[in-house]
Order: sequence, then structure tokens, then C-alpha cells
Amino acid sequence: MAPHFTQGHKEPMATFTPAAPPPCVSVVRRHHVLVRVSHWLIIPLLLGLIVSGISIYWASPIYRHNPDPQTGSADYFADAGIWICAHLPEGHDCASRRDWIYNHTSLGPSMLAPALRLHWCCAYLFMLNGLMYLAGLLLSGEWRALLPRVSDAVGAAKMAAYYAGTAFAILQRQPRKAPRQSTKYNPLQRLAYFSVSIACLLAVLTGWAIHKPIQVSWLAAIFGGFDSARVWHFWLMWIFVLFVIPHVILVFADGWDTLRGMLTGWSRRVESAGRANET
Amino acid sequence: MKRDSAFKERPAGIVDVAPETWRRRSRRDFLVFGASAFGVLAVGSSWHHQGWLANMALRFDDDVAEALYSPNRLVPTYTKSQITLLKNNYNGATPGPGYISAWRLTLDGLSSGLGVSLDIHTLLTRHQVHDQITRFVCVEGWSAIAWWAGVKFDDLLNAYPPVSEAKWARLESSINLDGYGRPDPYFVSIDLPTARHPQTLLATHLNGQPLAVGHGAPLRLLAPVKLGLKNIKAITRITYMRDEPKDYWAERGYSRYDGI
Repeated sequence: MAPHFTQGHKEPMATFTPAAPPPCVSVVRRHHVLVRVSHWLIIPLLLGLIVSGISIYWASPIYRHNPDPQTGSADYFADAGIWICAHLPEGHDCASRRDWIYNHTSLGPSMLAPALRLHWCCAYLFMLNGLMYLAGLLLSGEWRALLPRVSDAVGAAKMAAYYAGTAFAILQRQPRKAPRQSTKYNPLQRLAYFSVSIACLLAVLTGWAIHKPIQVSWLAAIFGGFDSARVWHFWLMWIFVLFVIPHVILVFADGWDTLRGMLTGWSRRVESAGRANET
Repeated sequence: MKRDSAFKERPAGIVDVAPETWRRRSRRDFLVFGASAFGVLAVGSSWHHQGWLANMALRFDDDVAEALYSPNRLVPTYTKSQITLLKNNYNGATPGPGYISAWRLTLDGLSSGLGVSLDIHTLLTRHQVHDQITRFVCVEGWSAIAWWAGVKFDDLLNAYPPVSEAKWARLESSINLDGYGRPDPYFVSIDLPTARHPQTLLATHLNGQPLAVGHGAPLRLLAPVKLGLKNIKAITRITYMRDEPKDYWAERGYSRYDGI
């Protein structure tokens, strides 16, 4: 998610000397290097966690029903695979219809041992990556810009309405002005980035709760015991998936500066940043 | 007021740079990030391809599990109303009950230097029987709460002490079958601290009944601090040894310690 749909960046600052002014670019620090590195590293890590996690889910699906007399399936993911294969055009490989979802979203069925190895590997790196992200936020003071404010309840709703309306505005080729913003992130961004960070923390905590349900049984108890901590862990994966889709769409919709900011750390959008010498 | 300001967003400093400097720095950062991304992907995928990284994570995770273990930390126990159904998860075929009448437990690697062979009656009359209702957690992700009874592994260790240098027990079942019903001996490694845990039982009863064949009659391991796959059914031999013994599922790519 990103701000400014229609605001352009500031032109180079003019100076008051009568001679030809030296051209200048005004830029503002956007993301600490540790924040940027952890932002990009989380992509392969989450991908590894999800593809291994779905293989682990396959070994004992949470959402099951009584076996279907026709297909023999008792797992909703297997049902979905059977449904997809029934609707795919001719020529697609549907040799194992019940495993279609697992074959296309994970390491595959019967891959529990490799899936667990990959999951632990990515999970430990995920935790290290999270610490690196926190370190970057603390060292730069950027954590303050992420804290939701009381007024964000209304602001986030306005932004959501703006984004929803923008899709129609583009279709009707009408210009649209973004809500005014005097902070680094808009209220919806703050809410999203803050929540997804909390979701990362919860994913780690529920992960430990189901990985070591005896030695840290108090942690499993917080989430309602081992079995329900597994359910939490499963749904937290969906929060990441649901976050990523609008996140990627909005970054591309918002433009080059936002993407470049996460790579180089600098932004040319200085409207929402104060001058360093201003107080 | 001071407290408020500590959480308040600070203005980011605007810096004016020459366009040439800006372009050069941006280009440099893109190249650095691009090269790093390529490097991470290349190294990560080649390490993963060789299994090196994932195997290291598996070993590291076992060390973490061992560090988390405490001989004094008790496993949570439950009430009889919380008992759930425990399924027979024999990986292969469930053996027929014919073996039970001739069943004996052999102990090896004892400090006496002798081998000991026990029948179930001797085992139950010589040692106190303990009850516990604990959670059984499978590596596949399901769990069950079950009421177990049996003798403490620790009592057996005291009655028949292992050789002094022993750190491990190898538990073996010659009863185990593969999917086609052919003999497929099952074997697990158990570290002695786990064997000595006060809630590690050599179980003979489940939910008030003698163990059914599907649950490892007449004697199985019940170590609630380990994943279910360590809880070997129909134990026929226990050997104490200094070096870590082989483990059925570790040979098939799972972890070796399996502490939970």
C-alpha cells in the first residue's frame, strides 16, 4: 500500500542567487538499510514457509468432513482440487485430482520430512529477519511512523474508500485527488504495516506453540492449546497472502518512487516530510 | 507532554543533492541490491538443492529442542473427561495378536554384563504401576489426549542399571511390519535423560484396558516429551549404549531428537 496517486514530486529547489542556480534534487530518507534488506528477504522466506507449510498441512488437514461417498475425499483442499480438475480444459494433467491443490501450492503430498526441514530452515531465518527489521526500525526511529493513531480509524476508512473509488475513476478516465497527508504513511498503510508486523510475531509465537507444545506449554495455552494454536498458525498464513495482493498492486499503482524507496532508501516525495532545520 | 513526544512521528530531514550525485547513488544502490538478490538466490538454491542448509536447520532445531528440555519440567496432565480418541497410526500393517503369548523384553548393555529377559507378568509385579493422562503429539500435526498406565522407564533403569558410560537407549520392535505385512523392525534412539523423565512410561494400558495390538501390546514406550514417532510399540529389546543409535525415522529424513 502506498500514498499519493496524483501528487507529483517537488521540482528541484530554486535558490535566490541571480546567477544560474545550481540544479538540485530534494530527497528524503525513507527506509533504513536493515528495513530494506529484511523487506526483500521476507519474500523468499515466506514463500518457503508457505510451500512447506501446505505440505505439512496435507499430512493432517484441519478442515475435514465425512468421506464423500463418490470421491472418497474427506479434505476440503482435496475437494477443491477435484472441482478444479473437473473445470479445467482438456489436455491438463489431472492424474491425481485430490492432490491438485497440494501439487500446485506446495512441495506436494507425501513430502512431510523435506517440508519440515525446509519449514524449520525458513522459520529460523524468518525470526532472524524479523530481528533485523526491528533493529532497522529502532536505529532509524522509523518505528514511530508505523504506530497507528486514534484518528486512523476514520482515516483508514477514507483511504480504503479512496482506493476502491480509484479503480472506477481509472475506468472512467477521471482525475482523482488523494486525501491530504502530512505523515510518512497514510492511515491505511500504518494500519496494514503495523498489523502485518503483529501477524509475523503471532506466526512465530503460534509456530513455537505447536513446535514445542510440551516445553513451552504455557505458550500453547495462550492460543487455546496445541490444536487451536495450529488453527491460528494456518490462518496467519492467509493474512500474509491477503496482505501481499493489495500491497503489490498498490506499489505498482503508486509509482516508481515507492519501489525505488524500498531499494535505495531515498524518496523524492518531500511534501509529507519536514525540513531537517524546521522545528 | 514529554511522554507523548517520544512516540510522535519525527519529520524526516530533506536533503538537497546534485542530480548527478542522486543518479550515481541510485544506480549504485540498484546494482548492489540486484547483485545481492542474485547472490542470495544462487547460494540459497544451491545450498537447498544439496540439502545442506535444511539439514543444518534440522540439526540446529534438535539442539534447540535439547536445550529446552528440563528433567524437572512436567508434562501437562488432563482429566478423564478430556480424553480424546487415539487412532492406530502403525505406518505399515498392524500385526496379528499371535506374537503376544511368546513376547519377552530383552535388556542389553547392562552394567552386570548379562542380558535380561522379562515377561510382562514379571515386569508388572516387580514394579509399581503409574497412571497419567497426557497429550500425544504426532509429527503429522494431530494430537490426542490419552490415559496411560505402565511402569516408569526410570524404575527399570534403577532395577537393571545400564553400563556406566551409556548415554542412549536403543528401543527395538521386531514385531513391526511394513505396508505389505512383511517384517520391518522398528527402532528408535532415546537419550537417557528422556528415559529418566518421571513421566516416561513403559506403558501396558491405554484408557484402563490392556494395550490393544494396534497400540503396541503388550508394552510400548510413552514418552510425552517426544513426538509420537519415538513412542515405539511392542518393544522387544532395549539396548543401552554410549553412542547415539540409529533411528527409523531419522533415516527417512526426520529429526533425530524429536523433543517437543
